Amino acid sequence: MSQESGARTLISQAQLRRGKGRFVYWTLLTLVVLGFTLAFVGPLYWMVTGALKTGQEIAQTPPTLWPKDPDFSNYTDAWSNLNLAKLLFNTFYYAAGAVLFQLVLDTAAAYALSKLRPILGNVILGAMLATLMIPAIVLVVPQYVTVIDLPFAHVNMLDSPFAIWLPLVANAFNIFLLKRFFDSIPDELMAAAQVDGAGPLRTLWSIILPMSRPILGVVSIFAVTYVWKDFLWPKLVMPSPETRTVSVGIYAFSGGSSMNEIVAASVIAAIPTVVIFLIFQRNIMSGLTAGSVKG
Amino acid sequence: MATMTAPGKTEQPARQVPAPRSGARRSRKIRDNLTGHAFLIGAVLCFAVFTWYPMIRGIVMSFQRTRRGVTTWVGWDNYTRILADPSFWPAWRNTAYFTLLALVIGYAVPFFVAILLNELRHAKGYLRILVYIPVMLPPASALFLFKFYAYDPSDAGLFNAILRALHLPTSQWMQSAEATMPAMVIASTWMNMGSAVLIYLASLQNIPGELYEAAELDGAGLWRRIWNVTIPQTRLILGLLAMMQIVATMQVFIEPLILANGAGTEDSATTVAYLIYQHGFFQNDLNGAAALGVIMLVALAAFSAVYLRLTTKND
Amino acid sequence: MSAPQYRRVAAFALAAGLGLSLAACSTKSDDDGTSADGKVTITVDCMPVGTEKELLANWNADVAAFEKANPDITIKSVSVGTQCNNPPDFTARLAGGTTTDVFYGYMTDLQQVLDSGQAMDITPYLTTDNIATWDDVDPALKGVFTDGGKVYGVPVKNYSMGLVYNKVLFSKAGLDPANPPKTWADVRTAAKKIAGADKNAAGYAEYSAGNTGGWHFTAEIYSQGGQVLSADGKKADFNNAQGKQVLQNLKDMRYGDNSMGSRQLLQWGDLLTNAAAGKVGMFVGAPDTTQAIVSQFKGKYDDWAVAPLPGQDGPAKATLGGGEGYFFKKGLTDAQVKAGLKWIAYQKLTVGKGQFDYPRAKPQNYPVGVPQPLLFTKDSATAKAEFELRKANANVDPSIYSLFEANQLPIKGEPANAQAIYAVLDSAMSGVLTNPNANIDQLLKTAEDKVNQLLTAGS
Repeated sequence: MSQESGARTLISQAQLRRGKGRFVYWTLLTLVVLGFTLAFVGPLYWMVTGALKTGQEIAQTPPTLWPKDPDFSNYTDAWSNLNLAKLLFNTFYYAAGAVLFQLVLDTAAAYALSKLRPILGNVILGAMLATLMIPAIVLVVPQYVTVIDLPFAHVNMLDSPFAIWLPLVANAFNIFLLKRFFDSIPDELMAAAQVDGAGPLRTLWSIILPMSRPILGVVSIFAVTYVWKDFLWPKLVMPSPETRTVSVGIYAFSGGSSMNEIVAASVIAAIPTVVIFLIFQRNIMSGLTAGSVKG
Repeated sequence: MATMTAPGKTEQPARQVPAPRSGARRSRKIRDNLTGHAFLIGAVLCFAVFTWYPMIRGIVMSFQRTRRGVTTWVGWDNYTRILADPSFWPAWRNTAYFTLLALVIGYAVPFFVAILLNELRHAKGYLRILVYIPVMLPPASALFLFKFYAYDPSDAGLFNAILRALHLPTSQWMQSAEATMPAMVIASTWMNMGSAVLIYLASLQNIPGELYEAAELDGAGLWRRIWNVTIPQTRLILGLLAMMQIVATMQVFIEPLILANGAGTEDSATTVAYLIYQHGFFQNDLNGAAALGVIMLVALAAFSAVYLRLTTKND
Repeated sequence: MSAPQYRRVAAFALAAGLGLSLAACSTKSDDDGTSADGKVTITVDCMPVGTEKELLANWNADVAAFEKANPDITIKSVSVGTQCNNPPDFTARLAGGTTTDVFYGYMTDLQQVLDSGQAMDITPYLTTDNIATWDDVDPALKGVFTDGGKVYGVPVKNYSMGLVYNKVLFSKAGLDPANPPKTWADVRTAAKKIAGADKNAAGYAEYSAGNTGGWHFTAEIYSQGGQVLSADGKKADFNNAQGKQVLQNLKDMRYGDNSMGSRQLLQWGDLLTNAAAGKVGMFVGAPDTTQAIVSQFKGKYDDWAVAPLPGQDGPAKATLGGGEGYFFKKGLTDAQVKAGLKWIAYQKLTVGKGQFDYPRAKPQNYPVGVPQPLLFTKDSATAKAEFELRKANANVDPSIYSLFEANQLPIKGEPANAQAIYAVLDSAMSGVLTNPNANIDQLLKTAEDKVNQLLTAGS
């Protein structure tokens, strides 16, 4: 993390080193570490071991801390019955596409609005920002009707990943973040490039983008998290079992499976992302913290 | 959106364009504009098709009814029907209650957690990873965990087992009309707070240490320093997240759907989003659902107007 | 800006614009399903899901055999999940126009299917040429799929609700499995005994979420001789002695005897999973619920039996009936409709084939002998043939259905606007099952007001 232990925060370093302060600090630290571990890992532990218990044991009072007779059948059944591999692939595929579309189209738009400033640009920006406060749920019905029968083209986009990707491009928050970041890049840099004969695309590619890595990281992380967390929209536009996302798939699965099998499926579905997160946590954390405030 | 523009940022001067003679200048201007719009076109098309057009379509739909494949204009019928829906007011009450609780719990908790984490000199990385792990779970996974294991109304449930061990009264959780909403907020906060904590942490780290020192010299205690330094310094991000949080919690859907199987006990979990879903996809009433969407849009617009008014007045 | 640069920008813009149109092109478009060589392709949904291994194998075998017998027809099967008609998904498919050519629906779905504009009038095709057994199909069932003299669907299943009970738990509680409860008072006594004998089991289980609570309330008020809506369908008609009795029975079991388990707000899958795990003594359901328990939820068939729906003081006054059928999507070609009917005739309406292939089902983990689907007119030739074949291949003790079969109750259908009304009644059901201090009069009064409001608003 960017902060060195020397930086001054709410409570001064010196205060923490003194006798009483030191005692309070260490007590607090121990409590926080224990408390947070319990609060955030505890439920996960409960989830992983719960799915190993039999239906009888899970209904037992008081609950057991460790399964008496670990039974892996819930996990194997969940894996084979739910086709989790396909669901996970779908979700990652949609997330990757969402990142790509948002990066390309939103960056281009924000660049145009910030630097090229074409005629009516401000009107367009205003129309985009006006949608910032509109939650997705308000538009879900007309959006759904639109996706079913795209105006003019009259095509049905259901079960096509574009039904997830393209609506996500219409993200005013991204445009806002990116435009503000581009605004902070001095125009002189661009002017210099222009003198060298670089056109707008070259300037974007070789000057703006390299400087914008943090904000591009943030936009990507937001895109991935959004697709990962979204539920109603993918449930509606990806109706067939082959195109579902993980969350929707688990929910559909829950209609016809035992409690422990559903939880087992939930555990398996969570593993890949938690692993990816643990591997890349440094990048993700610094990406999130670096870009979000300055953006 | 006044709060979102960073103070002190000056508008850039218009780009210096070398000025060639008239004809060439006009064609150059047209070309520059074309280039600019070319960069815009992708995003604009997406906005047009998936946001602007649906907004108008939603309003139009709310005054129509489609029956037997034939669409007719029905005036305010859809609105009367939606207002007559017995779940209409409970849904708004529940959504408002959820939003309020989420502000009290889901908004304040991450802020204080961030302040706390920022003060600790050890185990920082570990604690940060901890709070972020639930964000990584698929939301359905996290909610099934709560539904089946934590909120089990019998004494075999995790929370009831803990309460019993502490000799506290146990709860029926999702089966109790009073506990439904708080239980939903707890689950939702647990699974979502990681991102907010990280964002707060980042903005806390940008607070210059001298401000605290100066405050301390003035004799400000811990709470005074939080009130006078930390909060004003993070006001921008606090305001931004408050808006995002309100917009997000207004559309709470998956929590009632999974935790309470939709409506919960005696409509205690029905939210506006769930009601839209129930009308559109259970009751074969997409037009009524569109009308409810428009009502929500109007309510939010009124809310943002008030919010902007208040925040700009304070400036 | 240099000329090549300018071109690149234009190309970029074009690509961005094309992104949209390409998106459009990449999605599937409808074709008329008839290729030049006269081959007809139709899509059909409600194929069993992967977890129902034997049913799926049977389905695939049926498709193969049918295609072999009809080389010019290709059947494309689509699975839409464990519940073929999960209301939100079904609505989405209808609204989205993504139903298959020949699509599954409940009897109560006719109105919604017509509203969506997706249904095709198949009246002229319904002849014995296309479906050999058509004349023997119960006219009442045909009526359910008829609107304004036009037929829109072919019935493939028909059921009525009874009391499903777990024989193992009955024996464990010292109850006689051959002598199931006949009245709601008997149900209460039995439930108490079962819950007492096995503390993990609910003596009696009931729905109260996802609109299924309202559905069962309807069945139970029918058993009391009541109804949900007045005869003209304009007013709620359940805030009366019968309605109160329904909720009182549940309240007595839930809080008086604590014999319904602590976990409530159940919906379809929740209850059946618990049942399959041997944790439910009794519940209201159709005989084929036991098939779902076995094929989807991995329960044991021999554990279950079905009795007629109990009444308050004697047999039930009536029971709730329903059924399923296949609709045809608007715009199919002549050849496609005929092919679809031929397929339904083969798989659903021919004795000895498809769902009536009892010799095939006999050795499988699939019950033969269930008095379902009751598709053919009583005493018609087809009905008799079906009955003979069923008896000859029965793999379950006929006694477990004999009571149900012997005591046929009058059958009532679901109310108009069923889903909206069920949503309201859910809240009365969840109230009585989760709140020990629930006031039944108040719950019913509220629900009555709500349903009347809905009906006045003309939803």
